[in-house]
Amino acid sequence: MFFRKKKAASKEDYFTAGQRQLIWQRFKSKRGALIAGWFLISFILMGLFAPFLSPYDPTAAGRDENYTNGAPQIPSFCDDAGCSWRPFIHNVERYRGADTNFRWITRQTEERSYVTFLPSDGWAWYVGKFNLNLPGETFDIRSPGIEFTTHLFGTQEGYIHFFGTDAAGKDILSRTFHAIRVSLAVGTLGVLISFVLALVIGGISGYFGGWIDSGLQAFTDSIKVVPTIPLFMAVAAFLPDGWSAETRFFFISLILGLLGWTTLARRIRTHILSERNADYVLAAQLCGASSGHVIRKHLLPSFTSYIIVDLVISFPYMVLSETALSFIGLGLKDPVNSLGVMLQNVTKVDVLLNYQWYFIPVPIFVAIVLAFVMVGDGLRDAADPYSEVNR
Amino acid sequence: MLQFLRFVAVRAALAVFTLTVVSFIVFSLMELVPGNCAERYIAYKNTQGSIVTQADINAEIVRMGLDKPYVIRWVNWVSGVFIRGDFGDSCLWRVPVTQLVGEKFLLSLTIAMSALVITYLIAIPIGIASANLRGGALDNSLRIVSYLGLALPNFLLALMVMLFMTVQYGETLTGLFSPEYKDAAWSWARVLDLLRHIWLPIGILAWAATAIALQTVRALMSDEKDKLYVTAARARGVSGARLLLRYPAKHALGPVINSIGYDLNRIFNDLPIVATVLVLTEAGALLLEALASSNDQQVAGAIIFMITGCIVFLNFITDILLALIDPRVRRSMF
Repeated sequence: MFFRKKKAASKEDYFTAGQRQLIWQRFKSKRGALIAGWFLISFILMGLFAPFLSPYDPTAAGRDENYTNGAPQIPSFCDDAGCSWRPFIHNVERYRGADTNFRWITRQTEERSYVTFLPSDGWAWYVGKFNLNLPGETFDIRSPGIEFTTHLFGTQEGYIHFFGTDAAGKDILSRTFHAIRVSLAVGTLGVLISFVLALVIGGISGYFGGWIDSGLQAFTDSIKVVPTIPLFMAVAAFLPDGWSAETRFFFISLILGLLGWTTLARRIRTHILSERNADYVLAAQLCGASSGHVIRKHLLPSFTSYIIVDLVISFPYMVLSETALSFIGLGLKDPVNSLGVMLQNVTKVDVLLNYQWYFIPVPIFVAIVLAFVMVGDGLRDAADPYSEVNR
Repeated sequence: MLQFLRFVAVRAALAVFTLTVVSFIVFSLMELVPGNCAERYIAYKNTQGSIVTQADINAEIVRMGLDKPYVIRWVNWVSGVFIRGDFGDSCLWRVPVTQLVGEKFLLSLTIAMSALVITYLIAIPIGIASANLRGGALDNSLRIVSYLGLALPNFLLALMVMLFMTVQYGETLTGLFSPEYKDAAWSWARVLDLLRHIWLPIGILAWAATAIALQTVRALMSDEKDKLYVTAARARGVSGARLLLRYPAKHALGPVINSIGYDLNRIFNDLPIVATVLVLTEAGALLLEALASSNDQQVAGAIIFMITGCIVFLNFITDILLALIDPRVRRSMF
C-alpha cells in the first residue's frame, strides 16, 4: 500500500532504486511479515541480552532450594494488609509441623518482598569471557571479560519466579531466556556451516556443469533422500559422554550443518546455472571484463539477496532439529539450556498433571519459529521481482 | 512402449545407484563409531564374568571378517543386503537384524504410509478449494493452520495432546498395544487393539505433513488456474468443478505426485521423536533404543537403510506414475 503511493509520487525513484531498496519496499508492504519481523528482532535481542534479563543463574548454581517445582509467582499490588504502589510477592519458607504430618512443605509467608528494578547485586555475568585451549600452552587464549552483576529486575530478598521453577529449583524464566540464546546460536552456526558447504558444492556444480554437475547432483540427491533425524540420531548417539557442554554444542551445530546443506546447494546451483548464460553476463564478457570481475560485480549481486532469503528460511529447521535432538536426550545436555533440554522430562504423568508451567516456554518457541517462517516467506516474496506482476 | 520401458529401466538404475551411495554413507557411519562389533561384544561378555584375552578378541575379529579392508567389508555388506536381504547380525543380541526389527519395522511403515495417505486425502481437495477461494476466510484460516503446522513440531503437538488428555481424562495415551496384547500373537482382537491406539501417532504425523502438502497444492493450483488454457476452456462454456478438475488440477497433479517421496521422508523424520513421546516401541523408538542403550551400529545402520530404501522405492513408483500420466516426462528422461 505504502509502496504504491510512493511509486505514484515519484516514478523516478522506482527505476533508479537498487535491488535492496526494492526488496525492502516490497517487504514493508506486507503487514504480517513486518510484525513477525519486529517479533524476530525482539527475540534476537532477548537472546543477546539473556544474562541481563535473567534474574538468576540458569544453571544449578542459581537454584532456589526452598522453591523446587514451584508454581509461577505473579507480583501483586494488594494483599490482606492493604495496597502499595510497588509490586510485591510473598516470600516462601520451608515448613514442617504436626499439621503437615511432619513432612516438608513450601508455604507462603505474610512477609512482602518488593520487586526491584536494575538491582546490582545479582549473579555475575561476563561480556567477552572465553577460553580457547589450543595444543601447546603458549597458544591458549584466555579473556577474563568484563563482569556485570546488574539485572533487569529482582526482589529485595528471596527469589521471584515469574515462570515458576523446575524440579531442581532452577528459574524457568532465566532458563527460557538462555534457551532462546542457545537455540539462536546453534541455528546460526549450523546455517553458516551448511551455507559454506552449499556455496562450495552448489558453486562447483553450477560453474563447471557437465558430468561434474551430474555426479554432484546425484550425490546431493542421495544425501537428501536419507531422513535427517534418524541420521542425526545415529551420529549423535555415539558422542562420548565425557565431552564438555561447549564441545557438545559445537559438535551438534556441526552435524546440523553437515547434513542440512542439500536444499541450499541445489538452489545456488540453479542460480549460477541460469545466471551464467544470461545476456548481461555475456555483455560484460564482450566488454572485456575479467571472469573475476564478472563473478564479483555481476553474478554475486544477482543472487545474494536470494541466498540471504534461503538462509532465513532454513534457520527454523535447524532450531527445530536441535530441539528435537535435545528433547530425546541425544543433543545438548543439562548445563546448557535449550527448549529440548527443558522439555526432556515432561512426558511423565506426574509432570503432566501437576507442573504445567513446565510448558510455558513452548508457546514462546512456537512464536520464534513462526516469526522466522513468516519473515522468511515475506522476504522470499519480496525478493521475487515478478511477485508484483502476478498480483 | 519401448520408450516407456527404457524410462523405467533408467529410473530403476538411478534408484539402485542412490541406494548404493546411501549404503556407503550408512556403512561409513557405522565404521566411524568408536570400537567395533567384536570389541563391544567381548566387553559385554566381560561384564558377564567370563575372562577374555586379547587372543579371544582377535579370533572374534577374524570370525566376523573385521580384519578385511574397509571397501571389501562394504561390498560384502551391500551384496548381503541387496542379494539376500541380510543385514548381518546385531552386535549385541547376536541375532539377525531382520529378525530383530522385522515386525516393528512393518508396524512403523504402516503408520508412516497411513499418515501419508491421510495427508493427501486431506490436502488435495482442501488445497484445490483454498486456491479457488483465494483471500477468503477459508483461505486465510488455512494459511494460519499451515504456518502452525510448520512451527508446532510434531513432538510438541504430541506433548500437548498428552497434556490435554491427562488433564482432561486422567489417562495417558501411550504405546501401541494395551498391556494384555503386548506380546500376544496376532489375532483379530490384537488388530482391534492396535487400531484403538494407532490413530494418535498417525494423526500427529499427518498434521505437519498435511500443513506442508496443503501449501504445495494451493500454490500449484493458484499458479495454474489463471493460465490461458483455463480461460479458453471457460470461454468454451466449461465451468464449476468440471473446469477445475479437468484442466488446472490435472496439470498441478504432476508436481504433487513428485512431492510424495519427500513427504514420506519428512514423516520418517518425525516418527522416532513422536514414537519417543508416545512411548511406541516400533522401529522409530527401536532406532533410538539401539543407539542410546547399546551403541548397536549394525541395527542402527540397517534401520536407516531400510527407511531410506522405502523412500527411494516410493520415489521410483511416483516417477513411473508420473510417466504414465504425462507423456512429456517419458520423453525428457531417456
